[in-house]
Amino acid sequence: MIQSDIIKILLVVILSPILGCLLAGLDRKITAHLQGRVGPPILQPYYDFRKLLAKENFVSNRFQNLYILAYFIFILASLLMLVFEMDLLMIVFVFTFANIALIIGGMSTGSPYSKIGSQRETMAMLAYEPILVFYIVGMFMLTGSFTISKLNSFKLPLIAYLPLIFVCMLYIMLVKFKKSPFDFASSHHAHQELVKGIMTEFSGPTMAIIELSHWYETVFLLGLMFIFWKQNIFIGVIISIITYLFVIIVDNISARLYWKWFLKYTWSVAVVVSIANILVLYIYKIKLS
Amino acid sequence: MCAKGVMSKSPWVVHVNCNSCNGCDIEFLACLTPLYDAERFGVINIGSPKQADIMVVTGSVNHKNIDVVRNIYDQMPGPKAVVAVGACACSGGIFHSCYNVIGGVDKAVPVDVYVPGCCPKPESMLDGVLQAAAILEKKRLDKNYKVEEVKV
Amino acid sequence: MNNLILLLIVVPLIFAILFTLSNNKTFYKIISYALCLFGTTVSIMLAYHGTGNIKISGTAFSIVEGIIIICELLIILFLFYVSIKNKRWGVLTLTAISTVLSVYTTFFIGKSETSIINVDSLSIVMALIVNIVGTLIVVFANGYMTEYEHHRGMKSKQKLFYAVICVFLAAMNGLIFSDSLSWMYFFWEITTLASFILIAYNADAEALNSGFRALFINIIGGISFIGGIIIFKTSMNIDSFSGILAHGRVSSFAIIPVFLLCIAGFAKSAQVPFQSWLLGAMVAPTPVSALLHSSTMVKAGVFLIIKLSPAFAGTSLGTAIAVYGAFTFVLCSAMAVSQSNAKRVLAYSTIANLGLIICSAGIGTGVAIAAAITLLIFHAVSKALLFLCTGQIEHTIGSRDIEDMFGLIHKAPALTLITAFGIISMILPPFGVLVTKWISIEASATNPLVVIFLVLGSALTTIYYIKWLGTMLSFPSVNLKPEKTIKRPFSVYLVLSILSVIVLAISIFITPIYNNLVAPEIKSLAIKSKDSLSAVFGDVSSKSGTFNNSLVFIALGILIVLSLIVWKVLVSKTQVKSIYMCGENNSPDNDKNMFRSGNDSLVESNISNYYLKDIFNEKALSTLGYVVSISIILVVLIGGLL
Repeated sequence: MIQSDIIKILLVVILSPILGCLLAGLDRKITAHLQGRVGPPILQPYYDFRKLLAKENFVSNRFQNLYILAYFIFILASLLMLVFEMDLLMIVFVFTFANIALIIGGMSTGSPYSKIGSQRETMAMLAYEPILVFYIVGMFMLTGSFTISKLNSFKLPLIAYLPLIFVCMLYIMLVKFKKSPFDFASSHHAHQELVKGIMTEFSGPTMAIIELSHWYETVFLLGLMFIFWKQNIFIGVIISIITYLFVIIVDNISARLYWKWFLKYTWSVAVVVSIANILVLYIYKIKLS
Repeated sequence: MCAKGVMSKSPWVVHVNCNSCNGCDIEFLACLTPLYDAERFGVINIGSPKQADIMVVTGSVNHKNIDVVRNIYDQMPGPKAVVAVGACACSGGIFHSCYNVIGGVDKAVPVDVYVPGCCPKPESMLDGVLQAAAILEKKRLDKNYKVEEVKV
Repeated sequence: MNNLILLLIVVPLIFAILFTLSNNKTFYKIISYALCLFGTTVSIMLAYHGTGNIKISGTAFSIVEGIIIICELLIILFLFYVSIKNKRWGVLTLTAISTVLSVYTTFFIGKSETSIINVDSLSIVMALIVNIVGTLIVVFANGYMTEYEHHRGMKSKQKLFYAVICVFLAAMNGLIFSDSLSWMYFFWEITTLASFILIAYNADAEALNSGFRALFINIIGGISFIGGIIIFKTSMNIDSFSGILAHGRVSSFAIIPVFLLCIAGFAKSAQVPFQSWLLGAMVAPTPVSALLHSSTMVKAGVFLIIKLSPAFAGTSLGTAIAVYGAFTFVLCSAMAVSQSNAKRVLAYSTIANLGLIICSAGIGTGVAIAAAITLLIFHAVSKALLFLCTGQIEHTIGSRDIEDMFGLIHKAPALTLITAFGIISMILPPFGVLVTKWISIEASATNPLVVIFLVLGSALTTIYYIKWLGTMLSFPSVNLKPEKTIKRPFSVYLVLSILSVIVLAISIFITPIYNNLVAPEIKSLAIKSKDSLSAVFGDVSSKSGTFNNSLVFIALGILIVLSLIVWKVLVSKTQVKSIYMCGENNSPDNDKNMFRSGNDSLVESNISNYYLKDIFNEKALSTLGYVVSISIILVVLIGGLL
């Protein structure tokens, strides 16, 4: 019904940034403890957000902030579509729109640092997008449909027959969360890679919108991993938590790698592994029960 | 020791090295290490001045870099504060009578906190940054706030 | 209805003669607008009239056959003359072979006494594209060609230009309505000839080379076409499309002639290994590139293949064609990444999208044919817009290179925004091209090889467009000061605006367009297939998923409304500062990114896009393309013979 839909939309729009904010704070706290220090309070991302809203807004291209607004709206749209269990291929295309808006926004400032950051982010997108779509194609081969809601009618989870793709998805979550070893476009923790990468020339309230979008994006990406075991909510949440912890721990134990390395090894190893997984599904005509 | 206010809970720092021998810079970067842990106060060393609140300056100002410091200060959105770290930044330090040195950082930009020493201990630098954070909050509430002289 | 079709073929010929009468620019303007009005009205009237078949027999038939024989003779003589004069022996040989085969077909094989003019939804779609987009391009050429010739110091050949384009439009109109194979071959050859004349328009060495290369490859396609006609007539007594389709799925013997016709389509649509002619054709003036080499002539090739798809859907031939098309798609997308010349990027993108259409036609299910036809519509309009924009950009800044377009939004804001809109309509939802990409991935998801190529190709597609889009839109500027010295011809900007409105409209109205123009065709083309696409209120759904285009439009609408609400905070009341260059910014007008470097010298910062020329090496990829595509073609031919 329309009313329950509206309540669902409101809950998602209001609760996801809170969840994202707490997850980001937990991320910094765990990283700090892994590095042997105390670290900021868990609500620190909220304090950062509040402070950014109080700053003046400096720009280098008068219209650059509009791209960030596009990024924000489309991340929100793709999260809402994910929650309403729509066609996963469409969701990934809408998510790509958001990322492209951010990349173009970075290039529009005319700054050399943000231009290189955008180029690197483009190369990262070239590398990880095939794996996302292979995940969706794998889901189609198992269930016969691209819509997420179809998964409810099966007992076995996706991860049972997509183990290799799960590993590849974990691998690309590192670049989507902007963590080492793949934070060459704009790093989350080190804060300085090419000054601030794509976001060098954004300030004040625009940075606040970017932070808010990152919180929504965190929930979205963890939602993508949740789908691997959608049938059981508890195990699905545990898979999301495992993803997040994996990302944090790998961030702390590895150095930053070059984007060419990422492109080369994703297209030669991860894509081949995903293709192998799909071919096994095709040859043995495996379907979910 | 909980800071109060919107600006003081999240002071983001841009670190500018004017003419420094790097002694103060090494000690400042030590603030970010686990031993002194500046991040527990929310201090992040952000590279871009457009996202920074506090400009931490080391080294004195000379004819070549006076425009550079002003340029970076200009690109910081308000409310903003400047912390002059080290004797060279405060007044020119040991080099103040050299032919190329103009003086301390206050010859280029208005300074809010002076942290003397050659070089100051990381704890003093961190203390200076946090005092600047408190001043930021006062600047946010009152646009024309001028720092009164406080002898420590 | 036969009057409408007769008008569509004859009236452009009349206009061709009109264009040769005078050189007066105002006269050209008037008749171009008249042509545009005529084309739009008649094609829309035809669309409303609906589908049907008209039989041509008796005296009308003999008259038309007579005209065709005379015109073919003239074409052959002209080709002989031109190849001997320019000493192109390869083309000469091919023309000789083609003549022998044509003579054999015309005089030594029995033929039927009637022919059918076939008006189905696919032909109506092509008619709309040719007559609306094509005539708009003629209006564009009014504002473009004078500057073009002046720039190159040529003496004016505009009479020839407009006349050939009008003849071409007439030929395309004839091609899409022909059911008889030999009539279609005749119109096919006219388009080859028109393409040659227009590519060699500049008459310098490079243009002549490209023209003859196009002629060479297209005549190969023509020979393949006529070979197919001969085999069909002698072994199975078929000489029309309805005859081929009445046979149902091809038996193993008929693989060869169907595939020969498909090879003709591949050559016309510049698939690998035939792609070099389209790349070379980029030396032609931009209206030619927009008209012939992206919206209409190359679409004739895929039109042929879509029409033939019931013959091979579901067979191994269909799978081979699908793999071939998908391979072209991924290879040409990869090659486009390394290009910095904007027209070459667009050329590779065209070839890639045509490969995608062929791939969908090869799969042949209801959903796949829907993907093929919808992509044909959306791609034709968007690509025409992009080519025309590139032409005007070239007149504005004097270069076609993407690197020179840095800061274009500062110099020519309206043009940049229209080009940006064109690029966005090629890669982003909610616009049509992305929706058809979604449809084609859904259609091909059961065939792993095809879907792997499609996924890799679509990842590469976004890359080369993003680089271009970002470079154009990037500039730190205090206020946009358009340069006053640029000439802004009215016809150019009028056509660009109309085309952008059309692009927007067809994406918004995807549901009525699909339901009225595409769905009826699918019923006739994908007879054996059970699944199909349905479109309701902007949501396109098949049995395995739904693309809620309406939701994306709503999100776009919310974005626009929200940006107007926060305009003050995010745009007006912001302060513009220089970019961060570690404090060393040093440029007087903020119009160049200059910084102070060693020895106090001023250096300009120049970051170019990543072209990955060593990973996506054009030569290496072309060689790979030739090897794989020729092997696929040989495998099919040999397999058909056995």
